Amino acid sequence: MRSYAAQRAGLAVVQLAVLSVLVFVLTSLLPGDAADLRFTETLTPSQVAALRAELGLDQPPVERFVHWLGNVLTGDLGTSLISGGPVADIVRSSIGATLVLTLATLAIVVPLAVALGIVMGTRENGRVDRAITSVTLALSAIPDFVIAVVLVAVFSLKLGWLPATWIGGSLLSSPALLILPIAVLFGRTVCLLSRQVRAGTVAALNAEYVTQARRLGIPRRQLLLRHVLPNAAVPGVQELARTGDTLLGGVLVVEAIFAIPGFATALVDGVETRDIPTVQGLTLVLAVAALLINLGADLLCNRLVPRSEILR
Amino acid sequence: MNPREVVSLGLVAVPLAVAVVGPVVPYDGRTGLPYSSEGVLGTDGLGRDVLGLLLVGGRTALGMAIGAVLLAYLVGGLIGLTAASTRQRWLDEGMMRPLDVLLPLPSLLVISVVAVGWRASAAAITVAVAMMNVPTVARLVRAAALDAASGPVVEALRMQRESWVTIQLGYVGRSVLGPVAADLGTRITLAVFLVASVNFLGLGLSPTAPDWAVSVSRNREGLLLQPWSVLAPALLLVSFTLGFNLLADRLVHRSRRLVESTR
Repeated sequence: MRSYAAQRAGLAVVQLAVLSVLVFVLTSLLPGDAADLRFTETLTPSQVAALRAELGLDQPPVERFVHWLGNVLTGDLGTSLISGGPVADIVRSSIGATLVLTLATLAIVVPLAVALGIVMGTRENGRVDRAITSVTLALSAIPDFVIAVVLVAVFSLKLGWLPATWIGGSLLSSPALLILPIAVLFGRTVCLLSRQVRAGTVAALNAEYVTQARRLGIPRRQLLLRHVLPNAAVPGVQELARTGDTLLGGVLVVEAIFAIPGFATALVDGVETRDIPTVQGLTLVLAVAALLINLGADLLCNRLVPRSEILR
Repeated sequence: MNPREVVSLGLVAVPLAVAVVGPVVPYDGRTGLPYSSEGVLGTDGLGRDVLGLLLVGGRTALGMAIGAVLLAYLVGGLIGLTAASTRQRWLDEGMMRPLDVLLPLPSLLVISVVAVGWRASAAAITVAVAMMNVPTVARLVRAAALDAASGPVVEALRMQRESWVTIQLGYVGRSVLGPVAADLGTRITLAVFLVASVNFLGLGLSPTAPDWAVSVSRNREGLLLQPWSVLAPALLLVSFTLGFNLLADRLVHRSRRLVESTR
């Protein structure tokens, strides 16, 4: 167990190193930079060159990378080319809304998906199982933005029950704002997760140790909670780590539609204005978050079922 | 074929037919006022004929996703098959380990980079979506091929002195097809989602492009004025992904039943 955790953490460190290089290389070797984009219409070429020197855009890439990495390691994500303020401030001000959205969605999705998965798995191919499977299958085929557009049209524009866009203030202080975004994010995640839990439950129920436990007369309730659930949870937890990526994509769409000033909105803004330090800072934070989620999921799976191998 | 399969095939076929045949249909949509109900399906926010846009918008909406998945299978499948069939452990490790490192790469990162550098280039978005699928495809193919390659059938074929090519392509390659077909359905759905989301956010194709996802995004304020301008492209997209999801589900069931019957 200890050595598994150590090995897995070692891999995460390597991944982190590679990702930081990738984030930098991919974002900085691109054609066109903020100096080009901002002032080409109003400035002469020599003024653009001066601006580029001031922003440090004229130095060789390797030098810029070392400089950037050194700063990142000391907790300095750089300065935004557009606002002139520290990138860390942009990260701090935008991460809250995204975290609220993601965590609130997960808080609803996870218990529901586990419950649905077990209900389906224990009634394999029964009427209930087939009904829920069909619904989840259909729901998971509808893109987030289609659900969002339709929900906004019906509940905000037509019926006027719920707000369609963010109008300022804290997300937590006005829960009505959260209802539609979470409804959009909820659909696909719950489908993907519950299907994995179902598959895990079916596999666990058919395993020999469950037959053996039944023969020993262990009550059904205890059998399900103590023996089936931990095994059934493994594909679910792994799927959850993978869904993290899907969920983030969904959050991006949701933030754009409901004009919520979160991480995704900041990222899209950064991309649009070619504010490279901001894009680098935001994607680095995202990449680290994804890494940690995967690390956590793998460690948790190993804890639940200590036989899982490292990777693959 | 049972009724359910016919329905799923139909769901896939309709948008596919629109995407393939649409661009050559000699339909001359007239422009009018925004969100008016002129023409068969009315006009969109820019006053363009919705039906005319639908006919040309499928090529990017479906083509980019399908192209990305095919490319991912070409690269990832090759890596997976080679890694599984090689006897050199270092080659296997050397090809698979770097992919493990790339696995947690957030797709948003790749997308935003492509959007910064090659905005509005369909080819660039296709390649980016493909690259994001390569690690998982390679893993899947490798696992499926290893399963087949370590079985008694390959052992027997080898003892019959069948050539390496016959064994690899004739047996291992063919037995990989089952899991691949099942995976293809969900993967194409996800690729359609990803491409559509990029376009919907305005990070991909130009906001005036006839692409279905772009149309949904552009006309969403007009949903109550001219519902078809949003619903028609949305329905075509949903029909395609739903059909593929259902087909993939059938394939998974079928391959599982096959495995159980041979046990």
